[in-house]
Amino acid sequence: MSPVAAIAGLEVRRFLRDRSNIFFVFIFPLLLILLLGSQFGSSAASTRVAIAGGAGTTLEKALAEQLTSDRLQVYSGSPQAIREEISRGRTDVGLFISEQAAQAFDDGVQAHMEVLTASQASGQAALQKVRASVQIVSSRQSQLSALMKAGLTGDAARAALERSKEQVHAPTIDLVDTGDVSQEFRGLGQFDLGATQQLLLFIFLSSLTGAVALIQARRLGVVSRTLAAPLSARQAVSGLALGRFGIAVVQGIYILIGTALLFGVDWGNLWLTALVLAAFSAVAAAAAMVIGSLLDHDGAATGLGIGAGLVLAGLGGCMVPPEFFPEPLNTISSLTPHRWAYEALADIQRHDGTLADIMPSVGVLVALAVVLLAVGARILLRSLGRAL
Amino acid sequence: MEREPAPPLTGTALTARNLVKRFGDLTAVDDVSFQIRPGETYGLLGPNGAGKTTIISMVAGLFPPDSGSVDVTDIRMGPSSLGAKRHIGLVPQELAIYPDLTAEENLNFFGRLQGLRRKDLKSRVALVLDLLGLGERAREQTKKYSGGMKRRLNIGVGLLHRPLLLILDEPTVGVDPQSRNSILEAVAQLSTEGTAVLYTTHYMEEAERLCDRIAILDQGKVQAEGTRDELITLTGGVDRINLIGTGRMVAAAESLRTVPGVQQVSGGGLSGLTLTVTDGPALLASIITNAATAGMAVTSVELTRPDLESVFLHLTGKALRD
Repeated sequence: MSPVAAIAGLEVRRFLRDRSNIFFVFIFPLLLILLLGSQFGSSAASTRVAIAGGAGTTLEKALAEQLTSDRLQVYSGSPQAIREEISRGRTDVGLFISEQAAQAFDDGVQAHMEVLTASQASGQAALQKVRASVQIVSSRQSQLSALMKAGLTGDAARAALERSKEQVHAPTIDLVDTGDVSQEFRGLGQFDLGATQQLLLFIFLSSLTGAVALIQARRLGVVSRTLAAPLSARQAVSGLALGRFGIAVVQGIYILIGTALLFGVDWGNLWLTALVLAAFSAVAAAAAMVIGSLLDHDGAATGLGIGAGLVLAGLGGCMVPPEFFPEPLNTISSLTPHRWAYEALADIQRHDGTLADIMPSVGVLVALAVVLLAVGARILLRSLGRAL
Repeated sequence: MEREPAPPLTGTALTARNLVKRFGDLTAVDDVSFQIRPGETYGLLGPNGAGKTTIISMVAGLFPPDSGSVDVTDIRMGPSSLGAKRHIGLVPQELAIYPDLTAEENLNFFGRLQGLRRKDLKSRVALVLDLLGLGERAREQTKKYSGGMKRRLNIGVGLLHRPLLLILDEPTVGVDPQSRNSILEAVAQLSTEGTAVLYTTHYMEEAERLCDRIAILDQGKVQAEGTRDELITLTGGVDRINLIGTGRMVAAAESLRTVPGVQQVSGGGLSGLTLTVTDGPALLASIITNAATAGMAVTSVELTRPDLESVFLHLTGKALRD
């Protein structure tokens, strides 16, 4: 094993062995992705409809069955609880069934229900879906009534309707929001966006906070022992840089595989995603070298690492999607490596982007990595001298 | 422990010529030259700040001298002299080991840096762990080790690749007496096996016990160099006896001047008498008898033999630990 590989391997091993990393490197990112996906993730199955009142009535059962078969999430609750959920944006539509409405439905006459919709844009789309479902239930009940009035027994009428359902397919509604932002996220799974954002955030954050290892190596005296071994200072610096890169890649691969397996995140073309991941990890590793070389104090390096990691992630679209950024912030955002990596991953995930499509973003990342690596290696070399 | 004489000269393990190193206005090392033969232990003795670590850093190729040169065997040493670096083992003053790794992992890592291959590395690691008495705790993180165990491992890393020249920078700082003794014995053993040792310390006793030759350093300069006995002759090689007591001090002084072997008697006041003698232990009994006969009631006697501390004091006018 070459000295460069030995140093790099040791850096990665020490990072993986550090118990304080278990939570923040391995558990926390996936928890965050789960939380964000559950709360804000977009998915057809995530339209939530609540039914209040009418428990056990024909109307309630028919509505719940139809809404579920239309792939909406249905739950029951008290009117007060449902109003609160809707006001907080956690439920899209609420259906309130009164006793009169339930009775009217049973009697085959017109029934009136109160419907409450969330104020956000998704509420209106959800309402359309609910209307379609209610319409189907209403039609079926009218048909049943008509057949029974025509002399069929209830069972015979229901059987006739079931047969007709198999032969005639009711029209379905596919709602399309033509807004740019909605179009941009169209087709994304519930956890896809959050996974992309947290992938970039945590690769950079873990790398920057891991810069402390460079400071510790100088303080421990292992630097002088390393440089007294038969290897050049350049080899030592290369090993340390490769170690930082390895740490970033390990963090990235873990999130990629973890989210794909646990949350079914679709990362698109894996080779292209790996290319973006490698370029972004190189930037993160180089930035970590700069911090670890400039500072001599663990606490300062950790503070700066966390601060810079979060600020850059925020600006780069890893907290709020950059599609929602106003123009001035959009311009500032493009100064961060996160934004370029985000754009490249978005191309791959959402638009089946090719190598040619992502090359501009990857090119910027590689250029950033080269510049930062050159600066980082130079400062690190100097800092090793300072350690002797 | 008495040291056996160094093996006969068969080439030179290390040659340092006219080393100079400046840091800004400070000349940390000023025209220092010395040689070490295989199997010889060479000591750099001096107080903190004398330039010992700077010399070691240049010898180990961590940074180059401003002028002068270092040759390990016949290979010129420098930061990129990988050939020369293969022959040295550096034991820095700090505990240069990873606390979150086990002893075995530390040795494996630094062994790889030294270019040891898998099979050789495995056997060398086992051997060194055994030598250091760390075999049973080889797979324990070193942060759980005592200070002495860490020091021993620190030395073990330097020995791993069987260097021709072992450089030890104050290896016993902060070590308990038992571990210290074990470290000194290990160094002496290496020397008898033919390893050249460059040993820095500010502990006079260690230099006296271990080193075949010693350079006394102060303010970056070699003040004197030689074997212990050669250095002691610089002070005149005489013992000093302090007599404290009461009674007829002047008469006692007169009487003591006539004792064969007594070269000089001074004092006579409350501080007592100070005698310079050629062989203190042999003369002690007759000196006390003479003083008593002359009317001095001796209450305290102190015999001071010349040592490296005296040499340092003699050469620099200050104590070694100043």
